Amino acid sequence: MDMLLQFVANGLVSGAFYALSALGLTLIFGLMRVVNFAHGELYMLGGVMGWLATTVLGLNFFAGLALTLAVMGACGWLVDRFLIERVRDQGEEPSILLTIGLSIFLTNTALLLVGTAPLTIEGPLPNKPVFLGPVVLTELRVFAVAACAVLILAAHLVIRHTRLGRAMRATFQDPMAARLAGINTARVYASTFALGTMLAASAGMLLGSIYSTHVSAGGLVSLKAFVVVILGGMGSFAGAIVGGLILGVAEALWGGYISTGTVDIIGFIIVILTLIFKPYGLFSTQVERA
Amino acid sequence: MKFERNTLLVLGLIALAFPLLVGNQYLLHIGIMVLLYAVLATSLNLIVGYVGEFSLGHTAFLGLGAYTAALLSLRLGLPAWATIPLAGVVSALFGVVIGAITLRLRGPYFVIITLAFAEVLRLIANNWVDFTNGPMGLSGVAQPALLADASPLMAKRFYFYLALGLTAVSLYLAYRFVYSNNGRAAVTVRENRFVAQSVGIRPFVYAMRAFVLGAFLAGLAGGFYAHYITFVGANVFGFAFMVSMIIMVLIGGKGTLIGPLLGALLVTLLTEYLRELQELRLSLFGLIVMAVVLFLPNGLMGFLNHRRERGDRAAPDDSATRVQGGPA
Repeated sequence: MDMLLQFVANGLVSGAFYALSALGLTLIFGLMRVVNFAHGELYMLGGVMGWLATTVLGLNFFAGLALTLAVMGACGWLVDRFLIERVRDQGEEPSILLTIGLSIFLTNTALLLVGTAPLTIEGPLPNKPVFLGPVVLTELRVFAVAACAVLILAAHLVIRHTRLGRAMRATFQDPMAARLAGINTARVYASTFALGTMLAASAGMLLGSIYSTHVSAGGLVSLKAFVVVILGGMGSFAGAIVGGLILGVAEALWGGYISTGTVDIIGFIIVILTLIFKPYGLFSTQVERA
Repeated sequence: MKFERNTLLVLGLIALAFPLLVGNQYLLHIGIMVLLYAVLATSLNLIVGYVGEFSLGHTAFLGLGAYTAALLSLRLGLPAWATIPLAGVVSALFGVVIGAITLRLRGPYFVIITLAFAEVLRLIANNWVDFTNGPMGLSGVAQPALLADASPLMAKRFYFYLALGLTAVSLYLAYRFVYSNNGRAAVTVRENRFVAQSVGIRPFVYAMRAFVLGAFLAGLAGGFYAHYITFVGANVFGFAFMVSMIIMVLIGGKGTLIGPLLGALLVTLLTEYLRELQELRLSLFGLIVMAVVLFLPNGLMGFLNHRRERGDRAAPDDSATRVQGGPA
């Protein structure tokens, strides 16, 4: 019984990261109809940037995080303006291929530059254990989960309560009408992509401080983010959070009770089952596919 | 149609003469890899170019074929002439099951679920140690008995002709499929699903046929791979093969029969040329994919066809009556 609670707690911790990394993906899909296959690579770049900022430049964790967010936000903006914009309104396929190409390029270029060694990011807190009843966590993990929650909340506030967020939602509802109302939709798209990139990068850096990060992590992260987004429903904010937590707990339980070697399989089983039985996900309000 | 058929025949004749003119094992090996990739790219093209959906899980069928051939050969001692066709059949059976599930979905959902199937199979191959030997892989797959006392050069020549035979079978099947009612229906579905449905074409049925044929051909290629390399590991399900196949189909031009062949030739030669630079090569591949999507969305064959059609229109001829094999 104690073990069960411990597994669930571990699952919720990793679930928070899944939620944060999936949020960027679902935002980009919901607003731009772009399925970003390079999402995991942006997450990975976040981890690498965080490592560069803290270890190589010697900044402290929070300054490193701010720098990472700024740089990755700019990267996201540029990717949208120079790549995605060229295939906008051409349907899904060109953007899928384009982001697959981007992901191949980013992974292998990073491998070339940084190498395969795991990169550790110095966390802001020591790895001291925290006892919550029968459950043991480390201070760093509690901090990272709190940081996840803060970032998710911040993204929510940006979308709900700022001028940019209103423009995003208007563009999401009807791009043409938004343009007629004087919204610069090209800028909104670029901002959305930048926001999604920043969310992915922050997840990469936070997780890099708990475990370690390495440049070939992107592929698996992309896949897990897709699992979460499909489970929660493409474009759904709440779905990404619930889906992330479900995936985290399911993996922790599978790893704890069945086998640790095949943990990654559970996500794919979830995807296959979701797509067969509830293809729009748990939280999607739209029915759009023919 | 005529143009494609004639080009294919000429290419076939050149390939037939190749091993007789070349006495170099390394060149023959490259030739064999080109042919292997030609089969794979052709099979992926059936799905990407004729179903119009993008599969990232095509390595599932390559891997299934390779493991089937390797297991049949190692556990039951079957010879290569039996294992390679059986590899195709097993892949096709899985194609029926996987297609029945995945072809209900479209766009990004299809991409992700096909990828999920390939990953599940890779994880199973890596973890089910009793059956697949796990990460150690299956080594020592038997070479055909014919080669017991042949010289290495003769063995390479034998494999070259075997691969050429497989390529010919694949292209024949693909050609017959594409220029049949099946193929025309598939092109109609690809171009406009709703128009196709309104004239009585059931998209699912035709997509399924193309998918299963693609799975069968990839399985054959997998079976050949197992016997030629004599080792099969979980990497046959991996993303590296997938990337190569995608690039070949895209560069050559999806929805044409010659395009994937051209792509297989170009990419295999480029891979060999850049062999020393493992990661840089893949970086370049990523850039190539992006460049092709942005600047050459229909691939080389699309570009050439476009040029050819423009030329035809300048010099008036019977282009209006020429049977179009679907716009590339």
